Amino acid sequence: MRNLKSTTLLFELSQPGRRGASLPPCDVPAPEVSELIPAAARAGGPPPLPEVAEPEVIRHFTNLSTLNMSVDTHFYPLGSCTMKYNSKRNERMAALPGIADLHPLAPEETIQGLLALLYELQLMLGEIAGLPAVSLQPAAGAHGELTALMVAAAHFRHLGQARTKVLAPDSAHGTNPASAKMAGFDFVTVKSNASGFVDMDDLAAKLDDQIAVFMITNPSTLGLFDRQVSEIARIVHAKGGLIYLDGANMNAILGIARPGDFGADMMHYNPHKTFSGPHGGGGPGAGPICVTETLGAYLPTPVVEQRNGHYVLATNRPLSIGRVRSFFGNVGVLVRAYCYLRTHGPEGLKAVSENAVLNANYLMSRVKHILPVPHGERCMHEFVATAAPLKKNHGVTAMDLAKRLLDFGFHAPTVYFPLTVPEAMMIEPTETESKETMDAFAEALFRITEESPELLHDAPHSTLVSRPDEVQAARKPIMKWTAEVGPAS
Amino acid sequence: MPYFYNTPADQQAMLAAIGVSSIDELFAQVPAELRLGRPLDLPPALSELELAQHLGRLAAQNAHIGEKVCFLGGGAYDHFVPAVVDCVAGRGEFYTSYTPYQPEVAQGNLQVMFEYQTLICQLTGLDVSNASLYDGGSAAVEAVLLAMSVTGRQAKVVTLGSVHPQYREILETYFACLGAKLVTVPTPRGAADLAEVAAVVDGETACILVQHPNFFGCYEDVSALAKIAHDAGALLVQSFDPISLGLLKRPGDLGADVAVAEGQSLGTPLLYGGPYLGIMACREQFVRRMPGRIAGQTVDRRGRRCWVLTLQTREQHIRREKATSNICTNQGLFALRAAIYLAEMGPQGLAETAELCVRKAHYARERLTVGSRLSAAFDQPTFKEFVIRDSQGQVEELLAQGLDAGYLAGIPLGQWYPELADCFLVAVTEKRTKAEIDGLAEILAAKRESTAPRPHARLAKTMV
Amino acid sequence: MTPKDLLYAETHEWVRIAEEGGRKVATVGISDFAIQQLTDLVHMVLPKVGTQLKAGQEFGEVESVKAVSSLYSPVTGEIVAVNSDLPNKLESLGSDPYVGGWMIKVAISDESSLAKLMDAAAYERQCAAEG
Repeated sequence: MRNLKSTTLLFELSQPGRRGASLPPCDVPAPEVSELIPAAARAGGPPPLPEVAEPEVIRHFTNLSTLNMSVDTHFYPLGSCTMKYNSKRNERMAALPGIADLHPLAPEETIQGLLALLYELQLMLGEIAGLPAVSLQPAAGAHGELTALMVAAAHFRHLGQARTKVLAPDSAHGTNPASAKMAGFDFVTVKSNASGFVDMDDLAAKLDDQIAVFMITNPSTLGLFDRQVSEIARIVHAKGGLIYLDGANMNAILGIARPGDFGADMMHYNPHKTFSGPHGGGGPGAGPICVTETLGAYLPTPVVEQRNGHYVLATNRPLSIGRVRSFFGNVGVLVRAYCYLRTHGPEGLKAVSENAVLNANYLMSRVKHILPVPHGERCMHEFVATAAPLKKNHGVTAMDLAKRLLDFGFHAPTVYFPLTVPEAMMIEPTETESKETMDAFAEALFRITEESPELLHDAPHSTLVSRPDEVQAARKPIMKWTAEVGPAS
Repeated sequence: MPYFYNTPADQQAMLAAIGVSSIDELFAQVPAELRLGRPLDLPPALSELELAQHLGRLAAQNAHIGEKVCFLGGGAYDHFVPAVVDCVAGRGEFYTSYTPYQPEVAQGNLQVMFEYQTLICQLTGLDVSNASLYDGGSAAVEAVLLAMSVTGRQAKVVTLGSVHPQYREILETYFACLGAKLVTVPTPRGAADLAEVAAVVDGETACILVQHPNFFGCYEDVSALAKIAHDAGALLVQSFDPISLGLLKRPGDLGADVAVAEGQSLGTPLLYGGPYLGIMACREQFVRRMPGRIAGQTVDRRGRRCWVLTLQTREQHIRREKATSNICTNQGLFALRAAIYLAEMGPQGLAETAELCVRKAHYARERLTVGSRLSAAFDQPTFKEFVIRDSQGQVEELLAQGLDAGYLAGIPLGQWYPELADCFLVAVTEKRTKAEIDGLAEILAAKRESTAPRPHARLAKTMV
Repeated sequence: MTPKDLLYAETHEWVRIAEEGGRKVATVGISDFAIQQLTDLVHMVLPKVGTQLKAGQEFGEVESVKAVSSLYSPVTGEIVAVNSDLPNKLESLGSDPYVGGWMIKVAISDESSLAKLMDAAAYERQCAAEG
């Protein structure tokens, strides 16, 4: 039962003198802090944090949780984000004290079990990618992209080649150009052709000996497998460039095709997507990367190596780009990925992709007569439909549909991405949804398209808040509570 | 298969609806010559019970902090995590949701982000906070990149030897691609020599990056460093310890323009280094160059107060190669943990935690240096960490003896500082009891003479 | 209505040319059509007086909630004035784009770029094609 009082802010609940935690008395003989901390560094008092009792803390945050849609509670077909079921067994495994309560600078001989796990994970990720050298260090997919581009930069520096350009198609995630810039490259956009694939003429026109890396998402952000990928790799390699595969859509090809086999030199995984680590309300993720044997020399340190049955954190890599984050990596996410891979095994992983593709094609076949899919008769693990005809004929936008779906108890698909499809709705059911759920989702869409446009423009109607005024939020941003901001109107 | 719904009958019905005869037909767009054509070479599937047994065996090979008393710090700390944190953060509505793209069904996450941002502003004394970054190290790097962007000075950044060595290593990695230079002023006395810093800060310098309390646990004169930076038109970036702010002046009050921290101390387990929480706050005028997500307050169509992601035009999905950073996610789950932790602690709880840390650390420093063999490496007051020098220069053996006796006694510093090869770093949190500290002192300080190194107990080098 | 006395750039900036103190000065803003297309503006970045611009060079940015658009100088010269109050009253831009909505004044140093600009009729044809 939803408790609306939760929307009162912590700071408005605060009463002087209330507190949650109690701490033990100091059990050592030591001077007062005034004698221990230099006066110049010492504050006059603690920071002005809210003062609330513990029951209030629990009630406040628990009630806030009920204002979220989540995979545990709702169908969440958010394209490109692979919102699949987050297995509870993985949560339990990651919370084992022998896994969760390890200090990152603990001596290697005290963490041999964990290092064995991470070593095995490196091998498994390399095998699935067809790219044998693995770094588990990057903290997220975007961080993995950046790390791989730094690896490429180091490789070309080592070869004495001054290559300045990173190319990617116009349908690429925004992280691609942003990562290229941070790695010191100029970014060049390559057009997509009418079928949604890389425009080979435009690529040929932009390819020269300045190319460092061509970044490709395959399956693409349109949910299609670009058959040209090996030809792209051939011509990019002929110019001395490298191919980077954005692994956002690996859920479609596990055990079916491997990036290393279709021409990629480097790739990242999103284990929080493909391998079901929970998304945590927007993080944490992880972004392990796999590269060719040659490029492996440049990977960040440390990597886990096995020596005579003993696992070590190898740092002796003279060509390494160095470190891209503190400590080892997002181990908590990596352990869940390991558990996922061990739970599925080789046949199970292939079945993941088969069922993800089956579900996506099924849902596409159910809705495409009202939401046309401009590119491709079949899709991979997701499809991009367009609400453009609905907009033209009824004045109903993709955003209206998305908002109204919330009233029917479904999270909305990704809307307005990729940028190359007008009124885009990117739908990814994942393999952990049933036919009944997808049927219900399709039925909801049918009903919505028969509703009055006015009703849809004002949707959602059943949620605690209706559409927020984003213009006001951006024009005069209020990014924290202050006493002057005042209570809810 | 464990989590699939599709029965063979379901699959047949779906294939029929699609109009194909087999799942393989759906993959026709993947050319045959690009297919793997063999099973993946992976270990076979495990049931939940088998998985639990397997992980149990692996976990049993690790010495966790419930088995070995943890005096390790260096940016990750064994602080107490109240039960309320795990209880709330374990709710599926939080941890199985995602970035609030549909604010109407993500008000819980958005309000937590807004509350987190407010708590970080209260903690740091700065104007605005983002909704978090990956970890303390990447937050420090992003802060430096922000300073370079704001000042337009792309070539030079000044930092100190007392800043976390891994944070400096990350900066070196990024700078190798950007062609910028990191000038590191050594800190042989444990903290910065202001004159030496002033001598290298000039009109080309984007910022000074300082850590306070620093990697050795010593205090830096942040106000004076801020003045040096500001006189040169540069920014002051401070990496801070969130727990320390129960007692210490806040970065904003010391003159810092950007403050960053590893937020793991605020309710997150050690997790062998991640995922953690990157905290970043800055002065208002820099907000449009700040990386990461930001929640903002607004009203809905019925006039009700609510929250949305705001200032999104800073971000990569809109600005692409001109974005302030390539970061797209925050660490939502850990920002949530930090918000619960700070709410549970309150000002008094945070102050008491900090007080326990500083007093127990002081006691430990005194106890460890009571004999003639061990001494404090720096003649400086320290917060919750301190550096111990072994006059016999046998740090590895000493720490191995500690481990044998049940103590993760410290972090050898020679891996980052050759001149401190005879030193190790000891951290003392509020969790350490007098008995544990006395026990460690008995093992380490009692050693007047070196014992012969025992190969089986030698510490392998921790990662560099 | 597209004012007839102005010139327009392909990138939707308008230009008013006037003699000021013996030199040709271009006053620059963005057209009503552009403002409608951008929807609700939330932020604007303008340059400093004294900045040297070449025709076609970016001189600032306007942002709506989910889009950023660059502003391009239609002329070559030095910025002699900036409407620095404009970013604080963006809500009024839509109702007054051609007078109060001016952004910068540029002392023109090279008149050749003026030849590329359109008159109101040509610009209206462009907008019709885009809209």
